[in-house]
Amino acid sequence: MDLEQLRKTAAEVVTREDVKYLVGWKKGSYGYRVAPVFVEDAAGAAELLFSPLCTANLATYLTLVEKKPLPRGQEEDKRKVALFVKGCDSRAVTQLIVEHGIRRDQVVIIGCPCPGVIDTAKLAEKFPETEAPAEVQWDGENFILLNNGEAVKLPREEVIAEKCRFCRYPNPVISDILLGDKVEVREPEEDSGVEEIENKSIEERWDYWENHFSHCVRCYSCRNVCPLCYCQDCILDRLNPTWVNRAVNFSENTAFNLARAFHLAGRCIECGECERVCPANIPLGKLNRKMAREVRDKYGFEPGVDPEAEPFQASFKPDDPDDFIL
Amino acid sequence: MSAMLLNKEKWPDFIGKLTGKKIWAPSGDGEELRFAPVAEGETPQLAFNNTRVPPKNILFPQTETMYRFQLGDLEMEIPQLDKETIILGLRPCDARAISIVEKLFRWDVDDPYYLKRRELVTLVGLACNEPGLNCFCTSVGGGPASTEGLDLLMVDLGDKYLLETITPKGDALVDTVKELLEEADEASQKLKEAAVNEAGEKISRTVDTENVAQGLPELWEDPLWQKVSASCLGCGTCTYLCPTCHCFDIQDETEAFEARRCRMWDSCMFEEYTLHTSGHNPRPTRRERTRNRINHKYSYYVDKFDVIACVGCGRCINLCPVNIDIVEILRQVKEAL
Repeated sequence: MDLEQLRKTAAEVVTREDVKYLVGWKKGSYGYRVAPVFVEDAAGAAELLFSPLCTANLATYLTLVEKKPLPRGQEEDKRKVALFVKGCDSRAVTQLIVEHGIRRDQVVIIGCPCPGVIDTAKLAEKFPETEAPAEVQWDGENFILLNNGEAVKLPREEVIAEKCRFCRYPNPVISDILLGDKVEVREPEEDSGVEEIENKSIEERWDYWENHFSHCVRCYSCRNVCPLCYCQDCILDRLNPTWVNRAVNFSENTAFNLARAFHLAGRCIECGECERVCPANIPLGKLNRKMAREVRDKYGFEPGVDPEAEPFQASFKPDDPDDFIL
Repeated sequence: MSAMLLNKEKWPDFIGKLTGKKIWAPSGDGEELRFAPVAEGETPQLAFNNTRVPPKNILFPQTETMYRFQLGDLEMEIPQLDKETIILGLRPCDARAISIVEKLFRWDVDDPYYLKRRELVTLVGLACNEPGLNCFCTSVGGGPASTEGLDLLMVDLGDKYLLETITPKGDALVDTVKELLEEADEASQKLKEAAVNEAGEKISRTVDTENVAQGLPELWEDPLWQKVSASCLGCGTCTYLCPTCHCFDIQDETEAFEARRCRMWDSCMFEEYTLHTSGHNPRPTRRERTRNRINHKYSYYVDKFDVIACVGCGRCINLCPVNIDIVEILRQVKEAL
């Protein structure tokens, strides 16, 4: 990725009259962190970057905006929001358009073809983080870690994020500006994580999820980071009626996690953010990828690839296969 | 106060002697370490940096039933706390957090739930030999071998643990295992000093807290709050995994034939936090909520209890999904002052 071109493009976009601000990635405060950043002028574009550490799906910020009541006489800034997207992130934007969560003309999408991002926890196991922010680059399919002027080669297999192993859309499916050349689409690996669960007996599955959900602290980072969990009135926040109790225990935690999984069926675009941010290390990716696989296999539906598609959960076809209904 | 030595080979015997008490210690078979009750015959392992989830919930459960009653019977049942507990291997920062939070629970009303648990618990700390990357305890009044809040401090000296008792509770615990221990010699004291100094030098992140408590209110409308909170997702990771965050909410919950009044953790990062019945919220966006998190720790708590409500454990930095870094925020605060 040519960072000069990226910053130049960002500066051009952010200075456009019809653009309010741009959401991108910048160097984090230490180690392998990269931080989302809101850029409002050309000068701010100078700190933007795109690297294998840019795991964060910025599409979340399209719907996370909090609007304060405006002072009398002041009008809402209705200009567009520009944002950088990887392949998976672009599917989130597409799905938001499908669901009327955002309008196509409200966003400027800058696409970044992505050969795959790094699981920073795996990387830190091999090369402990330092206080100084590290730099990682792509080297074809592999990665290079630049550490104190020294370049270390990192084989793809050793540090690639799990979600990228199954990725079928490394190139943005929607964009206004595409940076650099498209990357070659690799044959996705078999989803060993989902298979591991499917191979368990019902009792084993229950034990597996009981163990994990018991550790959930209900911080809701999975919900908040999810670009497609954007209901203004989430059932989890309802007090009257209280659909899910505030008590943190296995029963309520399971209600929460399963409600989220079902609400995302046919909508989850498998960006893996929920699993990445979970402080309790719950393998949420396996749960959501399983639901995505069910929808794909049973209905042949893939969310977030066609902005003109009908939303899966709002669609009905008389010839839907019904062989799994009792 | 006494100093004793425990050969690491005798560690399982040490655990075995602590019968009749509920022991919490880091555990997790090949998985992530968490503080969990030690099962009989199990030997907790102490080779760890720190747990991601702090041991806060042992004294301050995330959900605490204050009382319950059954349908048709208005007799209130108040859970009785009487089990003596030991928390084994908590880090000095997490022990300091307990002594800091205790001030709040002893403030205008003595909180019976917290204080009963506090009375029944013996805190056995483990000094840090290998502080984490984002540890900054030394900037906020702590240190790798701080004894504040602890009853007994253990220091890893390689093949032995040095046990220093701090309080009568610590002495009592040492008493129950004394045939396993030997008097500490001067050499081991020197080893401890060296280990603690070395650990202190490894802590590279620092926060300058001078004038911050007085200065923060002056920065109420400073643009820095917008800047540092812009990418905040509004999740509860930083507060729920903070050993000193202690905000709670009270809810009445029902389940078939039982009703409970529960106290549960709350987080100032949530939209629901301080939401008034009228629909008004004095902290309407993440900007105000982030500002509250920093002010509460570094200003309000200092005003009220004369101590910073942050122990520098680094968890909020390690686990923030979007790299909001409290050390960096405080650097910007200092810059703006």
